Amino acid sequence: MTARLASTERELDQSASVATQRPWNVVVWNDPVTPMAVVVVVFRRVFGYPEAKCTHLMLTVHHEGRAVVWSGGRERAESYCVKLQVAGLQSTVERDD
Amino acid sequence: MASRLFTRRRDGRIEVRLSPDGRAFVGATAREVAAAEGDPNHAWGAALHAPIDPGRDADDPLAMLSRQSELTSNAELVLATLDEGALTDGEAWAWFCTLQVALRSIAVANGLLDDDAWNALSGPLVEHIQTIQALLFELSRVL
Repeated sequence: MTARLASTERELDQSASVATQRPWNVVVWNDPVTPMAVVVVVFRRVFGYPEAKCTHLMLTVHHEGRAVVWSGGRERAESYCVKLQVAGLQSTVERDD
Repeated sequence: MASRLFTRRRDGRIEVRLSPDGRAFVGATAREVAAAEGDPNHAWGAALHAPIDPGRDADDPLAMLSRQSELTSNAELVLATLDEGALTDGEAWAWFCTLQVALRSIAVANGLLDDDAWNALSGPLVEHIQTIQALLFELSRVL
C-alpha cells in the first residue's frame, strides 16, 4: 500500500511537472485583406525563418485559418505576439494542448 | 516594365518613388494610426487593442504598453520620413508596419472578417484598401 501510494505520488509529481512545462504557442490568424507576400515578410523579419518555412506557415494560415508559428516560454511568446501585432497581423498566444 | 514604387539601392537604402499624392496618402494613413492609438473610442480600437492572450481576463500591462509604444513610434517615424527620397531599412519597416496595421484596422472596423465579406464589398472603401495593399506589396519586394 505504501509503495503504491509512493508510486501514485511520483506519477502526480511527473504529471504536474509536464503541465507546467507545456509550451505556449504563438498563433497567427487568417484575414481576407492581408496580402500573402506581407505575411511572408513579417515571419522572416520577426522570427528570422528561412523563406521556405515562412511561405509554408503563410499557406497554413491561408488554408487552415490559423497556424502556430512559434512555441516556447510564455514571456517570449507574448513578446513575439506583440511584434506580430505591431506588424499588423492578427496574433494571439495560447497554452499548448 | 512598370516602374517600382520602392527600390533597394546599392547602398542598402530604399528609394521612394511615390508621387506627392502617394506620399500624402501614406501620411494620412500614419496620422490615422497615431490618432487611433491615442483615442480609446476610435473605430480602429478593436484591431489596435486586440487581446494577446484571449484566455486571460486582462493582458500583461507591460506587453500592452510595449505594443502601444511601438505602434506610435512607427507611425511617428513614417510622418518624420514622409518627404525623404530614400529610407533606411528600419524606416521602410516602420512604413510597412504602419500601412499593414491600418489595413487590418480598416478591415476589422468594417466587418471584413472573411472572404465573403471582402468579396461583397464595393465602392470607395475597396479602392482605399487596394491602394494600401498595392503599397504593401511593393514594400514587401524590397524588405
